[in-house]
Amino acid sequence: MDYVNLRRQAASLRKGLFDQGYLDEQFYQLEDLQDDASPNFVEEVVTLFFRDSARLMANIDQALDKCVKDFNKLDVYMQQLKGSCTSIGASRMKTECTAFRECCRDENIEGSHSLSILNLCMRSFQKIKREHSVLRQKLESYFQLLRQAGPVECATRPNK
Amino acid sequence: MASSQVVKVLIVDDDNITRRIYRTMLFRFCFEITEVEDGNNAIQQFLDGNEYDLVLMDKHMPNMDGVEATRTLRGMGIPVKIVAITDDANSKDTFLGAGADKFLLKPLTFPMLTDILKSFNFLN
Repeated sequence: MDYVNLRRQAASLRKGLFDQGYLDEQFYQLEDLQDDASPNFVEEVVTLFFRDSARLMANIDQALDKCVKDFNKLDVYMQQLKGSCTSIGASRMKTECTAFRECCRDENIEGSHSLSILNLCMRSFQKIKREHSVLRQKLESYFQLLRQAGPVECATRPNK
Repeated sequence: MASSQVVKVLIVDDDNITRRIYRTMLFRFCFEITEVEDGNNAIQQFLDGNEYDLVLMDKHMPNMDGVEATRTLRGMGIPVKIVAITDDANSKDTFLGAGADKFLLKPLTFPMLTDILKSFNFLN
């Protein structure tokens, strides 16, 4: 198996994740924490993120499906999700979470206006789901390449 | 310091991922680490007679938030070092007013944590 080529592919995928804004500085922090004592730390944390975020997003989906106009509740869920995004450096998802929370915070939620806010929230949430799906796909591919390439792969910051 | 020589840290955060990251950072210093998910459980740790040298306190948590937990701990006369770590920049004054010793914005990085530990002389 061409391990050099696999490592090159992994490095390229990783660089793309930063260049396209999917990941930010916080992901470097996670990589810096990976060592002999925690050799799979980054993948473990990312796996935890996708598990927890899927659960949170299911809660939000459910609330939106029921046309719940409890925007405080939606905001709490989204704050949790945004917090998780911040923890792993999921930059684009974090931005969309912020946008969703802005919708929830619209002061005038009386009567028909709350319906338009709900629609805005739903649209915003669709964006979050898309970003989540793309990020998941890319990171799964990345870690698969790393596993195939073997344990020599070291995280290095792309040249600026 | 708590009665043993090992620095004892209580992580108070409702986010799994955050706790995992903090645990990994603190593990490098061979600290003794306990994790709870909300302010209520943090208070209970002290009511159960546990001693800690440092509390890493999130703000937004179910059941009891970090500000209220901080205020409650100070009201109980608990002198533990409390570091508020949150993404809510507007809560700094509230947290410090409640008795937190330091306030940091998330995400916590390893250098930030190291600086805090040095400032409290936990790295001697």
